[in-house]
Amino acid sequence: MMRTAKLRTLAPTSIDSLAFQLFQRCSVSGTAKGKGKLKGGQQLKRSKVTTKKGGAADPAAKGGSKRGPSEAESLVDACLNAPTPVRYLTPKERAREAEREKMGLISKDRQRELDMMKKGKEKLGISDKPGIIGTPGLDLITLGLVDADKIPKYDLTVEDGRRLAKEYSRVLMRKHRARQAAESTLLRLKKEAIEALPEPLKAAALVPDLTPFPANRFMATLTPPIEGYIEKVKEAAKKSSSQERRR
Amino acid sequence: MSRMRWLLKSVAPHLTSTKRGFCTKQEQIVTSVLFERLPVVIPKIDPVVYAFQEFSFRWQQQYRRRYPDEFLNKSNTRGKGDYQIDYVPAPRITEADKTNDRKSLHRALDRRLYLLLYGNAYGAPNGEPVWHFPEKIYESEETLRKCAESALHDVLGDLSHTYFVGNAPMGHLVIQPKENAKEISPSKRFFFKSQVIATNKFNISKCKDYVWVTKDELLEYFPEQAEYLNKMIIS
Repeated sequence: MMRTAKLRTLAPTSIDSLAFQLFQRCSVSGTAKGKGKLKGGQQLKRSKVTTKKGGAADPAAKGGSKRGPSEAESLVDACLNAPTPVRYLTPKERAREAEREKMGLISKDRQRELDMMKKGKEKLGISDKPGIIGTPGLDLITLGLVDADKIPKYDLTVEDGRRLAKEYSRVLMRKHRARQAAESTLLRLKKEAIEALPEPLKAAALVPDLTPFPANRFMATLTPPIEGYIEKVKEAAKKSSSQERRR
Repeated sequence: MSRMRWLLKSVAPHLTSTKRGFCTKQEQIVTSVLFERLPVVIPKIDPVVYAFQEFSFRWQQQYRRRYPDEFLNKSNTRGKGDYQIDYVPAPRITEADKTNDRKSLHRALDRRLYLLLYGNAYGAPNGEPVWHFPEKIYESEETLRKCAESALHDVLGDLSHTYFVGNAPMGHLVIQPKENAKEISPSKRFFFKSQVIATNKFNISKCKDYVWVTKDELLEYFPEQAEYLNKMIIS
């Protein structure tokens, strides 16, 4: 009798009975039950276990984590919160900002917007002259893929943009329709040719050819192949790999 | 008399229908091969397309996120190493273009080139040499594609650098015999498509001359069949 009574008291049955329910425990994990601490729109807590930089900076900043965020952290912060020239604000937020401005309080983002507008276009890196497409030296104009004199003149305005878009769409649609028509003609000629074949040959021609495509078919490239270039690249690869081995 | 003729016709039709001499079959089948070299370089870009792409890029750059400069320049600071893969790009217009050397495969790199032979062809008047596609008369192989392959084999020597596209022909022409031709029956010529794979030079034998031509030049060589070839060959 004594033993069973002891056993009963010494072996608590469920987690809830622990601590006499002074603190509520979550039924799954056994940890303290509380409301979710992550609210939407908040800055997410960053894990400190990630990159080398973070690891290298951490022991340095360990003692002085009260010093403030390290360089790497500030860089990551600046990237994640990179400013945009146009912010998305709901009408309510806009009204709130307008009223605050009347009172004289200007938020950081609004201040940044005003500064950007004052700076003007040149400093922000948008030029009026058309830039090049492609890496310098290998861009499409110097390679001869586009005739520079036939490019139409345009400014960076909405009307010019619409005009260019219309012409672009016209040109591409014309080409697309021509290609579709040509391909349907091809198919039609093929069908007629197969019809014109005598019987046994027709059956043989209708068998689909399922042998795989040749693996070494060359794709059209930007510039024509240079003779003797592959040997140069292979040699350079060998040299660099041997250097690494020496290290 | 007419009854006899009718019997003859039903039993041995070819004996009465041919009035002339030596053709036995009703129709000859000839396979010819359209041997093409695919473009090596991408085609020219329309200036309107280029202008729109450039405009849209600049317009979108106005609304981009401004990232810190030291982040954007990280790729430059990390050691590049001595990779030695810089090169001067080869020009798209080769010397063969400038000299208009039709025998070389390096001409017109942004277009397709087709092979034409000059020599004795089937259906040529009086056996004179004529410009024609590589061809062969179908005798009794299993399929027409094998006949086409043997035609190309005779011309090139080996088929390791060719790829025949599919088992079916891509077009056919019914050729009515002309008056001074040797062959008399109407013949059907079937075209098979095959492509050059991974090589720059070929040894063309079994003919007096050969050229690699683009589509426009091809149409010059065949003035009568130009319309049909125009439809069959895209650019």
